[in-house]
Amino acid sequence: MMATMAIPQQKTAIETIDLSVAYNGKPALRGVSLAFPENAVTALIGPSGCGKSTLLRALNRMNDRIPNAEMTGRVLLKGRDIYDRRINLTRLRREVGMVFQKPNPFPMSIFENVALGPRLHYGLRGRALQEVVEDALRKAALWDEVKDELSKSGLALSGGQQQRLCIARMLAVQPQILLMDEPCSALDPISTQKIEELITELGKQYTVIVVTHNLQQAARISHYTGFLMYGEVVEWGETRQLFERPARAETEDYIHGRFG
Amino acid sequence: MMDTVRSGMARAGGWESLAAQRDARRARTNALLMGAFGAVGLATVLLVLALVAIITYHGAPTLSWEFLTQPPREGMSAGGVGPMIFGSVLLMLGAFLMATPLGVFGGVCLAEYGERSRLMRLMHASVAALAGTPPIVYGLFGLAIFVLKFHFGVSLLAGWCTLTLFCVPSIVLITESALKTVPAALTDGGLALGLSRWQTLWRIALPYALPGILTGVILSLGRAVGEATPVLFTASVYYSTAETTLSWETLRQPVANLPYYLAEGYRQPGVVPERLIWGACLTLILLTLLLNAGAILVRYRMRRRYL
Ligand SMILES: Nc1ncnc2c1ncn2[C@@H]1O[C@H](COP(=O)(O)OP(=O)(O)OP(=O)(O)O)[C@@H](O)[C@H]1O
Ligand SMILES: [Mg+2]
Repeated sequence: MMATMAIPQQKTAIETIDLSVAYNGKPALRGVSLAFPENAVTALIGPSGCGKSTLLRALNRMNDRIPNAEMTGRVLLKGRDIYDRRINLTRLRREVGMVFQKPNPFPMSIFENVALGPRLHYGLRGRALQEVVEDALRKAALWDEVKDELSKSGLALSGGQQQRLCIARMLAVQPQILLMDEPCSALDPISTQKIEELITELGKQYTVIVVTHNLQQAARISHYTGFLMYGEVVEWGETRQLFERPARAETEDYIHGRFG
Repeated sequence: MMDTVRSGMARAGGWESLAAQRDARRARTNALLMGAFGAVGLATVLLVLALVAIITYHGAPTLSWEFLTQPPREGMSAGGVGPMIFGSVLLMLGAFLMATPLGVFGGVCLAEYGERSRLMRLMHASVAALAGTPPIVYGLFGLAIFVLKFHFGVSLLAGWCTLTLFCVPSIVLITESALKTVPAALTDGGLALGLSRWQTLWRIALPYALPGILTGVILSLGRAVGEATPVLFTASVYYSTAETTLSWETLRQPVANLPYYLAEGYRQPGVVPERLIWGACLTLILLTLLLNAGAILVRYRMRRRYL
């Protein structure tokens, strides 16, 4: 199999080795080997159905939830295979947080949405818990908008605020890697811009992996980009280079709108 | 291909005239069906209202504070139905406390493990069958097991156990279906945060499903409180002169209750005057209406909080 595609001189946060996933025997990912660099934003692009979400879900084992998904290959987080039987799933998902395409706040107050994770994972309460919640909401650029109504339902927020609430909720459990599956696709341009700024900011401290259909967005926010087609990585490299001087004809076709 | 479509359109006089014919037909069908549904719906509502109206007409004159609180007097021919109301409420409360945890637990099991396990699918089918089993079967089962085998005797305790059995299947089914309405996105959100399956269930899914579950529990109790047959052989006494008090002894004694009073009172004509029967009938209906109103209130209150 092809050697793992890594960015030279970059520390790897999480990496897949010859990762294949099939649903009901139909392959969705074929031998993907990618090393995602630490403390940077990586974008995953590619036509619909090419396996971006599947790849993302393989990184925090959310594919386990799908009964007909079969996986081969390995995913290494800090050198450890996350599909190892002895791995602690709770701990893995604490370290690798995820935000979904559609905002999914829990039906509870804004405060509770963010507090639930740290309370259950770290036993925080009182002042310490409040600090963690405030910190997470600040990082998610939501604090100023909600600080006076923390007891309001999370569902009473706008779509863009809900998505930032979900990001805050994820940050509050202190992850190192953030997975985001089309986090802006349900949002208006202004909310989208807010989330983009947020991702750029988060990329300084966290390893962020974003799936997006918006190529300009990928170009704007990411340092590295992977282009997938038919479950395979077609091209992988620095975003600037991939967009300006793509190495493969398929990449060039795709980014110039001649495919999908 | 395109040509035949075009010529067809030309013959028919364009898209608009094609649509116009269907629009007219659609409007007719729609009016007809909506009218039919409306008529049947109205008939149902009227039927229920008529029933309540008749019972209210006959029962209302009897209703009084005295009727609701006093025991029967003069060999059942006068006085009130206080002990029967007390007994019915007591039976119901016990069944509520026992059946709710059992039923919710069963429903959680079915919802969590239901799809993948053949055993659970079998359980689901059995529970559904049990929920449709006539109450008299529960009554006889209770008699055989609790009254005779366990030597509870005809008693409040045996009545509680029987009513619990009677309520559990429907609570299981309600809990299961309420949990299935929890959006997968919420559960995924919990799991992606690193919560365990149990934590996701307890912190996210159950609170979400709770209004539905409680409504189902209350409705199931409402049905149980009006049934005479589960308690017929297990807990009922027509009337005992013993004071209606609460003590450990009460557990082993039979209790009077409204449905049994109605059934017996009606079976022995001439003993209980008709106006008392009507009054008890209305009281029972009011009790179930009260429960239903409670269910609606609970749901409304909870929904308003965070949904
Ligand atoms: N739960 C599932 N069961 C069966 N097949 C699935 C399932 N999820 C995804 N697939 C299939 O796997 C392939 C990859 O899907 P995936 O969702 O990863 O694509 P994607 O790149 O995220 O697409 P999109 O851009 O539309 O979100 C598709 O062919 C899809 O039909
Ligand atoms: Mg996707």
